[in-house]
Amino acid sequence: MTATAVDVPVAAPPRKGAGGFRRVPKVVWLFLLVPAVVEVAMVFWPALNSFYLSLTKWNGLGAAKPVGLKNFRDLLSDEVFLGALKNNVIWAVGFGGLSVLGGLALAVALNRPRRGVGLYRSAIYLPMVFSLAVTGLFWRVQYQPDGTINTLLGAVGLQSLERQWLADPTTALYAVLVAAVWRQVGYVMVLYLAGLKSTDPTLDDASAVDGAGSWQRFRYVTWPQLRGVNTVIFAVTVIDSLRTFDIVWAMTQGGPYHSSELLSTYMFQQGFTFLNLGYASAIAVVIFALAIVFIITYLVRATREEVNP
Amino acid sequence: MVHSELSRRGFLAGLGGLGAATILGGCATGSSSSSDSASTTLTVQSSLSDADPKAALTKVVADYTKTKVTLNTIAIESFRAQLPTYLNSGNPPDVLTWYAGSVARDYASKGFLLDVSDLWTGGGACAGFSPALKQLSTATDGKQIFVPTSYYWWGLFYRKSAFQEWGVQPATTWDEFIKLCQTIKSKGVNPITMGTGSTPWVASGWFDYLNLRVNGAEFHRDLLAGKHAFDGPEVKKVMDYYRQILPFVDPKGRSYSWQDAVTPLVNKKAAMYLIGAFLTTGVPADVVDDLDFFRVPAIDPSIDVAEEAPTDGYFASAKSHNPQGTKDLLTYLASPDAQQEFIKLSKSSNLPTSPKVDTSTFSPLVQKGIKHLNETKQITQFFNRDSSDELQVTADTALTKFLDKPQDVNTILTNWQASAKKVFGS
Repeated sequence: MTATAVDVPVAAPPRKGAGGFRRVPKVVWLFLLVPAVVEVAMVFWPALNSFYLSLTKWNGLGAAKPVGLKNFRDLLSDEVFLGALKNNVIWAVGFGGLSVLGGLALAVALNRPRRGVGLYRSAIYLPMVFSLAVTGLFWRVQYQPDGTINTLLGAVGLQSLERQWLADPTTALYAVLVAAVWRQVGYVMVLYLAGLKSTDPTLDDASAVDGAGSWQRFRYVTWPQLRGVNTVIFAVTVIDSLRTFDIVWAMTQGGPYHSSELLSTYMFQQGFTFLNLGYASAIAVVIFALAIVFIITYLVRATREEVNP
Repeated sequence: MVHSELSRRGFLAGLGGLGAATILGGCATGSSSSSDSASTTLTVQSSLSDADPKAALTKVVADYTKTKVTLNTIAIESFRAQLPTYLNSGNPPDVLTWYAGSVARDYASKGFLLDVSDLWTGGGACAGFSPALKQLSTATDGKQIFVPTSYYWWGLFYRKSAFQEWGVQPATTWDEFIKLCQTIKSKGVNPITMGTGSTPWVASGWFDYLNLRVNGAEFHRDLLAGKHAFDGPEVKKVMDYYRQILPFVDPKGRSYSWQDAVTPLVNKKAAMYLIGAFLTTGVPADVVDDLDFFRVPAIDPSIDVAEEAPTDGYFASAKSHNPQGTKDLLTYLASPDAQQEFIKLSKSSNLPTSPKVDTSTFSPLVQKGIKHLNETKQITQFFNRDSSDELQVTADTALTKFLDKPQDVNTILTNWQASAKKVFGS
């Protein structure tokens, strides 16, 4: 905003450090203040409160009782929490890895204009328009004991692979993961398509003339140009995978016996089914810490690379 | 030009902020004005979000003309989550739908519920209700805090025509029941259907019943109150019986919800379903008349017959601004006419709590349900209603694991006891 204001030749005071701020009329600051106050009151204040709540025992009735770090100590010996943490790692790697690999592969494959390519792109992006809860319900039907997937396996003679995907603790988490990736892959593809559009095609052509193979051209010419998009996709994927809740809730509710529990579903259950709001806040703080650690590390690295490439 | 666009954007943002502020202000003034007018308007907070019960309650409340009543219907999961907040707020709803038993007692012990003892004495609306219902609506300090308006029974439901086709009869003893299961299985039909996928609490139905049959109602209540251990010899014996029926349970049930598991019963792919009378809402209209049920057979004849009969109704907030009006509304809701109308319109198989309701027009199945409970010595509610929703989750984990791996029963029970201890300790 200030940057655009600099280009405006209305007044031309000397360009100095904070000069840009002075050029914004006071009334704009006033108007900005109102949403800022709303944001602080409705977002930051409750968020800060959950830090405080994580140090208390509170069931929503009466006053919260401070218990120090007990909630966090309890978390360390809570098998369901540790299982959820492990599942979250599997989820982040699986969800992030598969949707990025799939999205990138599809974007590269569908980047060149060809007949019917628009149809493919829309078809792949289509699942994104469904909410995660709808996606979950849709896949739950596919995974039913007599659902499409088992029927298909039976039809091609793979009866031995038929199972109760969502009721089997060894497959439940992965079954949900497939459904989530199915939806996310179109989104990542669109982001990469946009990234590929902004790459310089002449570089690609030039390296082709120089005799570079298609893998070499992708790895050494295209990929470095996608750095900006990668930063966005990394941040989006990490945040999406840590806040995954609805699709698991719609498909398994963390079951059978906590085998597909994620931190978010466990937090919801502790907070809103059991009303252990202090304990649930402690889980929320862990989720927040994980997200912020990953994202800050990555952003710091990414910006440093941009400064000294 | 850019400037003007900037300020327009700023203006819009400001406008949004102002708008939000006005809405917030509106909320604040709204709540204060409604507390002023609380003496004229009563609020009913309802968790009956299914279409038929919702329409039924709307009609029943609309027929109450003495005071203006606002009915808020909230989806049950949100309602459960928000219930403490409703009761704890400065301007709580006057009347709320919920369950009798330890859940209501728990809120009463925190001082959130209105004392409605006068409804239970003299000419009060609940004075004629059964002593069992009164006991269920009484808090630990001896005051009544709940107004029960309907309840339902549990049983082994089956299709009469299916049993006829297979040439089998309902069982009255445990050995007969196992034999019945074997006969049905030999015909290629799953004897028992049970949807424990997205509704794992269904597995507690069998647990409750087997515990009632093996150890009796008093032990069952004490167990759920934390006075006995889940890994003790009594519960192990219950699990031995549970294990006997596992070969007869439809294995696909673990992917089903309770509603999904009705389908095999309707299609005669499964024979029996231990479930509450709400089953009739999930069955096609032409099959309802073909449904019948029988009691879970006795195991130890020396133990009093006990049945689950979950009781629904209303409690009122202690902070209601109009306690007199609230009690009057509760009196109306508990009245025979209101009960009858609600049961009729909600199309459920619920039973009225008032003995004055004319039940002769109810279906034969419901008549049988009334008789079934009248012949029962001990009444329990259901696992979560006799304990808490949190203990229910420990049962769900333990029992669904048991359904998958019955051979690990000892480890499962040890873990169950450990997590139950945590619940009682918190």
